Amino acid sequence: MEHSRTTASASGSFLQYGLRFSTSVPNDPDTHDDFKPTNKLENSDLTLKDIVEQDVKDNHVMIYMKGDPEQPRCGFSSLAVRVLSEYRVPMHSRNILEDPELKKAVQAFSMWPTFPQIFINGEFIGGSDIILNMHQNGELKEKLKATSSE
Amino acid sequence: MGVSKEQVESALRSKLAPSHIEVIDTSGGCGASFKVEIVSEQFEGKRLLDRHRMVNGALAEEMKDIHALSITKALTPDQWNKQQQSQTFQPVA
Repeated sequence: MEHSRTTASASGSFLQYGLRFSTSVPNDPDTHDDFKPTNKLENSDLTLKDIVEQDVKDNHVMIYMKGDPEQPRCGFSSLAVRVLSEYRVPMHSRNILEDPELKKAVQAFSMWPTFPQIFINGEFIGGSDIILNMHQNGELKEKLKATSSE
Repeated sequence: MGVSKEQVESALRSKLAPSHIEVIDTSGGCGASFKVEIVSEQFEGKRLLDRHRMVNGALAEEMKDIHALSITKALTPDQWNKQQQSQTFQPVA
């Protein structure tokens, strides 16, 4: 993989105004326990389903995709990112290619077979065809406006 | 083994009774990716997400072998007719 990020399988990345912030934290032994990185996947209390539920609840725009927003690894994921980027809203993403189990969990959660999958304000929106369609008819703008004003 | 365009089309015909359907094999022959345009009365009163769910559901079996399915249009006959009309009114270049 040309991609050098080697964080845990369910690591996320955060894209805002073209800048990406990784959610992974360096392993620094001097850090107080409170500030230690918590890998959700290694936490046995949390199932993958919980992680997905939390993802879509905590992020106004959540996208599960192939690759990441900077380097999508599929044309459909790339299209969805390009459409969403038009609106300059914070977007949280997870790369399902890095974790087949997460992929299954997302599919089971949304009852949707393909990727990308986009959630806005906790609501499942659909895949790239739907996001493009909503972009073209103005529905996406309304949807994002409604969420960002909260 | 891939899925044929005909298989996709017949599955959609039998389950969604479309008045118009166009399936395009975009895989270059290996049968792993398709583009679908479908018009059905069954879409009446349903939002786009649910229409896509219906198409995905109708192709549940085929989806196991399909890697990419693009549903470019999922319209009701009314919506389809309106689209067709607005296209015919466009001046011929």
